[in-house]
Amino acid sequence: MAFFNTILRTLRFPAFHTLAQERCTRLFLKNLKTFSQCRTLNLSHHLRKEEGLNIDPKEKLDLEEWKTVMRSSPQDNKNEQELESQEDSSLSGMRELVEMWRLAGRAVPEVITAEQLKVLNELSTKSSRKKYLKFLSLKEILKKKKKEKKSENRKSTVNDFYDSEEKEEKNEIKNTLFLQFWERSMDNLQRWRAAQAMLFGQPLIFDMAYENYMSRIELQNTVNQLMESEGWNRRAADPFHIYFCNLQADGPYHKELVKRYNGAFENILITATDKSHVDLFPRDHLIYLTADSPNELKTFDHNKVYIVGSLVDKCQQTGVSLANAKRLKLATARLPLDRYLKWDVGAKNLTLDQMIRILTCIKDTGDWEKALSYVPTRKHSGFVGPSHSQKKRTSKHSKMYEFGKTLNHSEKVQHPPPPDNTE
Amino acid sequence: MFSLIACCRSLQSKSYVRKSLVCKRARQLLFRDNHAAQYTSVYNMWLHTTCGMNKTFQPKPRKPNTTHKERNENSSPHSSTVFSAGAAKKRSEMMKSKIDAPTNVDTNSTSVKRKYIVPPSVPLGSDEWRKLKDESFRPNGFVNVMMSKMIAENCDINVAKSLLNFAAKEQEGISYELLLKYLALCIKQNNITEVYDIYEIMRNRFKSFDTGAYSLFIKGFSQTDNWRESIKMLETLKRTIKPSSKNYGDCIKAAIVHREAKQAWALYKEMLLNDLIPCDNTLQSLFDADRDLQDDTFRTELINILGYFRDHQIYPGEYLMQSIKLWFESIPDEHWRGYLSRVSDSGHCEACKQQLESIHLKPEEYSALKDVFLTTVIKGHDVFRKTTPQELQEFQHFVRSNPPYDVVVDGLNVAHMDPKGIRSQTLLDVVTSLSSGGKRVLVLGRKHMLKESRTWVKRHIQLLQKKSDCFFIDDISEDDPFLLYASLSSGNHCCFLTRDLLRDHKACLPDAHTQRLFFKWQRGHQLVIPFYTLGSKVFLQPRLSYDTILQSTDVSWHIPYDKTGVERASFEVPKTWLCLQKRR
Repeated sequence: MAFFNTILRTLRFPAFHTLAQERCTRLFLKNLKTFSQCRTLNLSHHLRKEEGLNIDPKEKLDLEEWKTVMRSSPQDNKNEQELESQEDSSLSGMRELVEMWRLAGRAVPEVITAEQLKVLNELSTKSSRKKYLKFLSLKEILKKKKKEKKSENRKSTVNDFYDSEEKEEKNEIKNTLFLQFWERSMDNLQRWRAAQAMLFGQPLIFDMAYENYMSRIELQNTVNQLMESEGWNRRAADPFHIYFCNLQADGPYHKELVKRYNGAFENILITATDKSHVDLFPRDHLIYLTADSPNELKTFDHNKVYIVGSLVDKCQQTGVSLANAKRLKLATARLPLDRYLKWDVGAKNLTLDQMIRILTCIKDTGDWEKALSYVPTRKHSGFVGPSHSQKKRTSKHSKMYEFGKTLNHSEKVQHPPPPDNTE
Repeated sequence: MFSLIACCRSLQSKSYVRKSLVCKRARQLLFRDNHAAQYTSVYNMWLHTTCGMNKTFQPKPRKPNTTHKERNENSSPHSSTVFSAGAAKKRSEMMKSKIDAPTNVDTNSTSVKRKYIVPPSVPLGSDEWRKLKDESFRPNGFVNVMMSKMIAENCDINVAKSLLNFAAKEQEGISYELLLKYLALCIKQNNITEVYDIYEIMRNRFKSFDTGAYSLFIKGFSQTDNWRESIKMLETLKRTIKPSSKNYGDCIKAAIVHREAKQAWALYKEMLLNDLIPCDNTLQSLFDADRDLQDDTFRTELINILGYFRDHQIYPGEYLMQSIKLWFESIPDEHWRGYLSRVSDSGHCEACKQQLESIHLKPEEYSALKDVFLTTVIKGHDVFRKTTPQELQEFQHFVRSNPPYDVVVDGLNVAHMDPKGIRSQTLLDVVTSLSSGGKRVLVLGRKHMLKESRTWVKRHIQLLQKKSDCFFIDDISEDDPFLLYASLSSGNHCCFLTRDLLRDHKACLPDAHTQRLFFKWQRGHQLVIPFYTLGSKVFLQPRLSYDTILQSTDVSWHIPYDKTGVERASFEVPKTWLCLQKRR
């Protein structure tokens, strides 16, 4: 502190001398003022106002200065009171708390609606509230980013529009063979294909019997995945005929699907039924795909009907779909993930859209490596075999491979000279 | 024990004594005692380390450079079971040392280091702060990050003040977050006058606070004469959110310090009603309360706390234990004396030689556990998850029609004990040694064991079926629930043999009370073979005969406590006890 003071003093005095010699008092005063403004020592407002030509040399760092600043400045939140009068006391208390959490730097949304507040209030534990608020804040941030991007895009498109107008004035209309290929035509084509699949395609069943096993969020995730998988199927060269079995009319699944499809749910080319898959197909044709199954799916059978359980399980309920298959005495199978992939992290159960992409690919090509390229790459560290020639590896071969690997490993371990021998 | 080892070593060091003689001598010394079984392991270890005769007794390879301390710890007369405190840590360290070899891979990947902010040691002016800010990695959050660092390193409060000055100038006011962090720093350093100032400022600025600020203020005010303010804050906090047990704890402490026993107990009861578990600190303050404050009701309340410990199977920490001991010893007219003690395997307290409570469940508890187990763990929501109805029925019939067993063996778990041996051979050996004592053994396995293969030899299985009863379940069913059910339905004398800690099945049980019952039953009935290789003698870890729970008689209290520094996993119980005796 003292050191700092002396530095400033030495800085100031030479300036004073030179200026005084020049007898240019006006300039001197001006300069002095600039000095005093960038000075760090005397910080409070009132002192700065009072200070003029004479500066107290004994001044020091005023550590309590921030308090006076905080006391003097007005209150931040006065406009909130109008909002609160509309809500009842417990909700307004919660709203206040959320606002203060936001100020304290927690992951909390800036704007929270009354409906969201009600959901928040109904959550029982602190951690669930925290999670919900984090979710809302993330949602808000994404929305904001999207908006920004949109406005930027709009700007650029407006510019492009002007550019293209200028160009069009110069260019004549081209002589082309086709009309412009609109997206509508693509839709038409896909719909034809899907209609064909409805008549002659191989059935693929989504078992919707797991409504009660899932929370609200998990159900929403499942519907997301179902919509996506329907989209992937529509775009496939040879689509499946998709069945939504055990779909209860006006159950939570049905409601969510109708809501998300926005009225188009009746128009998509799938079969939605409240019947079970065992009523629709002969039992020996059905194969239930589940990651818990002891049997590996070696080849894709074009005459079988595969069932995928539409279930997102984030909580620890293992073997739900296997139990279902056991109850109905159905054959089960799992994807040959371990045979083809060096599995790294993550659960072996894949999302529904990944499943349908893998299944369409294996149906079209019969090539497991190609099909399993849809498994997220973060979950594995590459394929087991380096090339197609080694694809049909017997279990003996894979053992040999592992054995060789372990041998190398042990050699490595033994390599550094063990210091323990000397003892 | 340690002296025994030392004695043996001194014997050995004399060159003319042959090794065999040493062994003989040691064995005599050891087995003269009637605790022979538990000393065998020590004996084995000693043989291994000194004489090199490891093969016959304990084949587990030991490090040659076992230090004195380790040996001493291992050779304590209290055999360590899988359920005693610190066992999990020991096991994990053992596993780690086995696969310790290549660790040099990771060091390269973490070479990229950020330039960390270091808080200055003296207060700085605005210019210097600005300079630091410009140099910093992320100038946007500079002030907040710097303040967090100060909290972490417990900086001088003047430095923090100068930072606040800088922030006030730079940003035209100080954010709530920064104030909160400054408050945390003040609380950490117990600077009460500063806390008052901040409180005044924040009251003016903001209409309400968040939970963090409330907690900090409660903590700050509870140490002052203004402690009623903190109870008011607790009330405001209650309106929106459930306060934490620490909030309650601070208030209770304040009430006790200011001699308001009634208020403290009211808060304590409210906390229990909210299903909060009180911190050790809080309880310690209650036990430490001023002696003339403690009337009879106060004392009964304190005894009730001990009852709460018993009901919820909570073990006090070492500091709280000391407080409890002092409290007992200070009760006038009742001459209590406290001893730190251990409990021998037979269930006698070493200080007072008194027999502790048995680990066996009461008959009604036992039958309740059995029913709950069948309905929730095996059947659950869906019988098909773990088995099929046919299989369950078949098994129930099997268990009912056969006489009660003495030991139920988890075949697959036992067979996999020795990774190098043949599975069926291992299983057969263990079962043979078990049934040699005339015990009735049931072996549970899966159907794939019946198929002839390299690891499952048919001849062994046939021999196994002669020596014991076997039940083979489906390959995709779970075997552990069957094991437990068979053991439960055979009666109180029946044990089961597996190395599995069965935590997943414990988690399936519906409430904490049944989980505690199950854990108690498990501790009393689970047999564990800690190590085994083919051909070695089967050594079973002794079952616990006493229950590790807070217990009392008219003239004594026995309180298990957690030693500081010993990490105890949730499936373990402490080994250390406080023994309180009343002198007449």
